[in-house]
Amino acid sequence: MNYNLNSLPANEVKHSTWGGLKSLLKLVEQERTTIVVAVCAILLNSTLNLLGPFLIGMTIDKYIQTKQYHGVLVFSGILFAMYSVAFVSSYFQTNLMGGVGQRIIFELRNSIFNKIQQLPVAFFNENKAGDLISRVNNDTDKLSQFFSQSLMQFIGSIVTMIGAGIFLLVINIELGIATLVPALIILIFTRGISPWVKSRNALNLKSTGSMSAEIQESLNNFKVIIAFNRRDYFKKRFDIANKENYRTAIGAGLANNIFLPVFGLFSSIAQLTVLSFGIYLITQGDFSVGLLVSYLSYATNFYNPLRQLASLWTSFQVALAGWDRISQILSLSNNLVTVFDHSAEEENPPLMEFRNVHFGYQGGFEILHNISFSMQKGKTYALVGPTGGGKTTTASVMARLYDPLQGTVLLKGRDIRSYSDQERAEKIGFILQEPFLFSGTVRENILYSNSRYHHFTNQQLMEVLEEAKLEALLHTFDQGLESPVESGGESLSIGQKQLIAFMRAVLRKPELLILDEATANIDTITEKLLGQILDNLPEETTLVVIAHRLNTIENADDIYFINSGEVTPAGSFKEAVDKLMNGKRLS
Amino acid sequence: MKPDVTAQKKKSPGVFSLLKPYSLMVSLLVLFALLSNGLNLWLPKLIGGGIDAFNHGNFAYKPLLIKFTAVSFIIFLFTYLQGIVQTYTSERVARDLRTRIALKISEQSFAFIEKANPSKLLTNLTSDVDSIKLFVAQAIASIVSSIFIIIGASVLLLGINWKLGLTTIAIIPIIGGAFYIVMRKVKSLFKKSREVIDWLNKVINESILGSALIRVINSQQLEYDKFFDASNRAKDIGLSILRLFGWLIPIIVFTANMAGLTILALGGHYVISGSMTIGDFAAFNSYLALLIFPILVIGFMSNVIAQATASFGRISQVLDAQEFTETGQLTSSLSGRIELRNVSVSYGEKAALKDISFRVTPGAKIAVIGPTAAGKTQLLYLLTGLIPATSGEILYDGNPIVAYQAESFHSQVGFVFQDSIMFNMSIRENIAFSDTVTDESLEKAIATAELTDFIASLANGLNTKVSERGLSLSGGQKQRIMLARALAVDPKILLLDDFTARVDPQTESKILANINRNYRGLTLISVTQKIAAVQHYQQIILLMQSEMLAGGTHQELMESSPEYVQIFNSQQSTSNYEL
Repeated sequence: MNYNLNSLPANEVKHSTWGGLKSLLKLVEQERTTIVVAVCAILLNSTLNLLGPFLIGMTIDKYIQTKQYHGVLVFSGILFAMYSVAFVSSYFQTNLMGGVGQRIIFELRNSIFNKIQQLPVAFFNENKAGDLISRVNNDTDKLSQFFSQSLMQFIGSIVTMIGAGIFLLVINIELGIATLVPALIILIFTRGISPWVKSRNALNLKSTGSMSAEIQESLNNFKVIIAFNRRDYFKKRFDIANKENYRTAIGAGLANNIFLPVFGLFSSIAQLTVLSFGIYLITQGDFSVGLLVSYLSYATNFYNPLRQLASLWTSFQVALAGWDRISQILSLSNNLVTVFDHSAEEENPPLMEFRNVHFGYQGGFEILHNISFSMQKGKTYALVGPTGGGKTTTASVMARLYDPLQGTVLLKGRDIRSYSDQERAEKIGFILQEPFLFSGTVRENILYSNSRYHHFTNQQLMEVLEEAKLEALLHTFDQGLESPVESGGESLSIGQKQLIAFMRAVLRKPELLILDEATANIDTITEKLLGQILDNLPEETTLVVIAHRLNTIENADDIYFINSGEVTPAGSFKEAVDKLMNGKRLS
Repeated sequence: MKPDVTAQKKKSPGVFSLLKPYSLMVSLLVLFALLSNGLNLWLPKLIGGGIDAFNHGNFAYKPLLIKFTAVSFIIFLFTYLQGIVQTYTSERVARDLRTRIALKISEQSFAFIEKANPSKLLTNLTSDVDSIKLFVAQAIASIVSSIFIIIGASVLLLGINWKLGLTTIAIIPIIGGAFYIVMRKVKSLFKKSREVIDWLNKVINESILGSALIRVINSQQLEYDKFFDASNRAKDIGLSILRLFGWLIPIIVFTANMAGLTILALGGHYVISGSMTIGDFAAFNSYLALLIFPILVIGFMSNVIAQATASFGRISQVLDAQEFTETGQLTSSLSGRIELRNVSVSYGEKAALKDISFRVTPGAKIAVIGPTAAGKTQLLYLLTGLIPATSGEILYDGNPIVAYQAESFHSQVGFVFQDSIMFNMSIRENIAFSDTVTDESLEKAIATAELTDFIASLANGLNTKVSERGLSLSGGQKQRIMLARALAVDPKILLLDDFTARVDPQTESKILANINRNYRGLTLISVTQKIAAVQHYQQIILLMQSEMLAGGTHQELMESSPEYVQIFNSQQSTSNYEL
């Protein structure tokens, strides 16, 4: 599956406003009852507010023109009662609709995050972290702004408009139609121009995404920029991104600003129509001055929300453009599906077995060619070979970060794809080459997602650590378990991060533990200690060690030599050393 | 949180000071806004005039049509121009502000960036600038024109009938007061919601950067739970804000309706008593509608201004920060003679290096060994000037490191970082990262780092793009590209931070031989774990817990330092295979 969001096939990228709207509306479904109640409140509120001008018009015609002040007071009383009811319904309207907006954005936020959690590692390798972060944060924020601020106004405006439109048509159909013609022109104009406006906004969001990716990359690697005296590099790259962002923002801004003047112009034209056509009708005897005054109010009631819609329409287009980028993520699915394995259980199957495995990353060459090997329970295996030979890739396939293109990986005699993620994660521990720490404390990091020790007190945990001989590793941390870990673990050395990753994996007690150069930056004395800790693991634990330092692999039961995507048993330790030292490099 | 408070107190120039260089554009913006809004005020008057003229029987279509159409078109034109000027002004302010921040950042020291926190700086450059952009785009023009409309409509209302006018204008303080009270309560909620968003972003960022680990451990649910907590809190705050605003809108509408009612009852009275025409009565209703919207706008915009001011405060912290100034002038070539005299580095209470002294002779090979977190990387950072010494001196050829011009210094000192740092550019650009690299030195660096075959195997060769964080390369390949990057500047001094950790022994020994052959006279300081590879070095420095425990040749250390012997013994069993 292609996970590169910036090169998804064109047919998956929808451009129509209505298509986007439809999929957005799916989010609303569970809110149906609240929406119905809210719409009732809106209808009541709008009707009451719209009846106002009508009653005022009637008062003018019936009482003011005829100089009956008592009637004026009676109608004022009626209006007061109406407005009071409207006050209450308006409160409910705002609260209910706003609540719907908040909950929709809540659901949306959660479903995006949930989707991202479901996607495999390949998705993260094919997209820039900065771009993904921008999509999830920035684009969701645009939608959230729309839902929390504009949706209510949007619906309110539409309801008021429809109500006012009905009043306009009911009071006088001819004048009504004449008044609504400019609105029709606006509608056609809006429909015609919206896709273009949206595409301008999409371009802008895209360049915002790449700008933040650029900033993120440069700032996180600032030490290289300083050490190589390339402050100008940061400036230059940023300038390009900034200029591009400026260009697209101007494009989007100019497009967004078209609606307001056009809407304004046509609403003025509508007023003029009401006035001149209305006066003509009065001269014909079909209309009254009082009705004309309230008619002008209705025209305002129709065109003011329309003008408001013009600015809302802009934020709607921005939200839709953001929605498209988000739905690109939502449209992806995990290609690592769980399958059913009907092969009969063997007696004493090997813990891990590769059968004719071929593998290559998306859009790249095949990296592993027809690999077969098996690993027995309780033994220690070493994977050695030159850099770029395929060791990490082999380990990643073992832990099912990827599925092979061809061939099968078997865990305890069963297709690894038939295990649930939960089962597999319990059985396989994998210490990655580049350790990752979450912000928090050392304790939180070594107990990350560890249900066994999660509720232990520090003292209980120290006992566990002592038993596993892990306790000595804590000495490099000033405040022991409670040492703070900043975001990304910047305050710690790589060696310290590797120690935390090591403790984290060992405490999970996996059946198969893969160490991918997991101790590369740790000094040899501490490394000896790690060796003892590994020896101390339950006897049935299978170890797979990827390392360059030979002392870390000398205790291996079996050594595999991996080079140019081929895995060959190296036989004894001595043979492996000879191969490493003298073997011809093929890559 | 503390620095925030002091910065706020310091009374930085307000967000309006940003607009000074754009005064022409801002004036144009305000002018267009005033013109279009001013003309908008005229329309109800035209309508009222039309109705009155009709009532008096002297109504004529033509002049009204012409006037009305002309005014509408002029309004259209000015609104459109306002939109264009608004877009250009706000985007230009944003672009220039970003450039200023980036320029400032690019002049800062490494320590500043680490302290300021890259993700916070990212927020400064993106969302903080956005809120200032919003301020320029919307607040300025709408506040000026809203005030203008309020004053204009009030004057017109008072002109038509001052008694009725006064009662109508009374809605301004009522709505304003309601706004003030709600906004004051909402402010603290806004601050909380900003914090929750930061929290959400942190969870999102970590879940993306740590995606591989999360999948290995299958802790997606845990991450989702973390996210859910933050997301839920964001929803709760959103609902609290809503409940407050929920009152605001009904109050405003109700107040406006009451004004309409007053106009009907009182105005009706005046019309009946003959002190007011029916056309004026209609105009009164129109002006009331005109009056409400600007009051709302000012209320919302005051919030935009508040947010922009807060953002500008955060940005000012970056802009006002003490600049890292280049004091060094020396451009002389480095011989490789280095001396450290009683150098210490500490972060607050915590000492990273204590009282380190040693000398390096030109062309010497020096190794630094020691346990995890002993301060080895800090020592290299110190030697490249990435971090300053808290006390003591670092001398290159007898001159303090700060006396050298940065460009000249960095072009003579190559540094291979321990962590893989790849930029999302071609391999060529990643290696020839400094702009002084010639094709010849690029070739030499690639050959020395044993990358020639690897690059030849790529379809696009040197022009192959490295994806971000270098995920498509193996650890060793990244490490060798980083070495080539350091060698490409043709350094006099090469600093290696645990370079051999991810490179296989065979390649490693080839590379070291290549360096000896291709870069004669190079002074090498290498942080390493393996004694065997550095036994013949002129000097080995043993660091432990921030202190320099011992320094000397392998022989000397074997005789004098029990800790060294211990490390040596820990590697003994296999050391014969390392060569």
